Amino acid sequence: MIERIVAVAENAYVRLFLVALVFLALQTTLLNEMRPFDVSLEIMILLAASAGLARGSEVGAIAGFMIGLMYDFVLTTPLGLGAAVFAIVGYLAGFVHSFVHEPTWWSRVILGAVASGIGMILMAGAIALVGTDGIFTTKVLTIALVVALFNALFSLPTERLCRWAMTKEKAVR
Amino acid sequence: MAGQSFTRRRIIALLALTSLILITLDLRDSGITTGLRDAFAVIFRPIESATRVVTNPIRNTWNGIVNYDDVAEENRRLKDLVARQEGAAIANIAGIREAQELLSLNGLPTLAGIESCTAQVVGSTPSNFSQTVEINRGRSCGIRVGMPVFNAAGLIGKITEVYNDRAVVMLITDPAYSLAVKVVNTPPTTTAAPGSDNTVESTTTSSTSTTSTTTTTIFIEGFEPGATVATSPPTAPPTLPDGRPVTPNTSPLTVPPGADLPLRETGALEGRGLNRLPIVRFIENQPRFGEIAVGSPVISAGGATSLAPPDIVVGTVSRIVNRSGTLGPILEVNVAANLENLNFVRILLYQPTTERVDQ
Repeated sequence: MIERIVAVAENAYVRLFLVALVFLALQTTLLNEMRPFDVSLEIMILLAASAGLARGSEVGAIAGFMIGLMYDFVLTTPLGLGAAVFAIVGYLAGFVHSFVHEPTWWSRVILGAVASGIGMILMAGAIALVGTDGIFTTKVLTIALVVALFNALFSLPTERLCRWAMTKEKAVR
Repeated sequence: MAGQSFTRRRIIALLALTSLILITLDLRDSGITTGLRDAFAVIFRPIESATRVVTNPIRNTWNGIVNYDDVAEENRRLKDLVARQEGAAIANIAGIREAQELLSLNGLPTLAGIESCTAQVVGSTPSNFSQTVEINRGRSCGIRVGMPVFNAAGLIGKITEVYNDRAVVMLITDPAYSLAVKVVNTPPTTTAAPGSDNTVESTTTSSTSTTSTTTTTIFIEGFEPGATVATSPPTAPPTLPDGRPVTPNTSPLTVPPGADLPLRETGALEGRGLNRLPIVRFIENQPRFGEIAVGSPVISAGGATSLAPPDIVVGTVSRIVNRSGTLGPILEVNVAANLENLNFVRILLYQPTTERVDQ
């Protein structure tokens, strides 16, 4: 029984799911109240971007979809909307990163921040697209900027965490 | 390489398709998506509760650093306010009881006849794009989707998601929120001079409006508009056919000051998101309604399809944006309840017909 649980836990996506659960709990509790410049910091989108940076665009898209779907479960936005946006963010981060000739720590930081900022704008656009008025305002730019700056600070540790979570089974042992 | 590209395309197509299906199902209020949310809540809530306990010192430190001055200032202000409100509250309670008695006497529905459930706010929205709070009561208390939520100050929103012991409240500032409301306005002032004739015509010209309106006031002998007691003209006492005088009815007759009754006009309240006041649209530009004053109360309109029963306080008019032509003004509403510091709230167990799901 225990061996079976360990075997399941060794799956990369299961590990990422568990990491995402912790991130989601932090998002809904701690970051919910810490609002610099009246902006809620978004670490879920950072996790999606980091998955793309760590394991490439395909894995980034799938991981982003999963993380976004988990976020949708606790929000009032339509289920699947965040999943679609986060999948794009994960894919975009991985895709652009593949073009960087010799990736450095700061290139990854910049990519993580930019992907987060773009994700915020895409999210606002997606919510407006499903018929909610008053979302797509100039405030979105402030949100994107603040979220990008905050996520830049935590980009490297989050990417490292994603790299660990999504390591192949044998490497973990 | 071609095979890899094909796999990538397949993955992207599959994710896009799944998203579209989920969005469609959720927008059509499918039971599948509700079930998925419920199942996820079962896994996630214990983790969230544990994280809330663990991160509490960090949150307190943050709030201590960022909000200390504001909290101290607010505390002083609230102490003054409480002292002032205590006296007014007693008078208001008496007034409300009288109003409820009057409504029930006339067979009209009152809020007192609707059961309610009290809950505490345990969290707010983690997103930048929606304004919601989470409360610690749910289905077990009788709460259902669509029920109105308010606190001591007034309406704060409606229930949008319900779990067994938790529920999510969409605040009235959320862009997705809309509610039928009434704006209570004082009537336009009329200057009418009683003449010899029973009917007198008077003209009222608004100082800001370019149109002039004519109102007709009918004077009935013995009655003065706005008077609380009827006045009778000095005449000889009437007598019966046999010559005996008629015993006069000495009980005073109260004449409601109809001309001074507050006028009401309905409109639609819409949320506009974070840091923006909700607005009221579709107020008709009627001369009878007069010019809306800043500070006029805004209350729920009620009605068969409304999200809330009538006469729940929403707030007051804080700004009026006049529009040209027949378009009525847009009113910005200062919400009575402080949505940033919600603690205890009351949920009216009143489910609007528009929110009922056929079992």
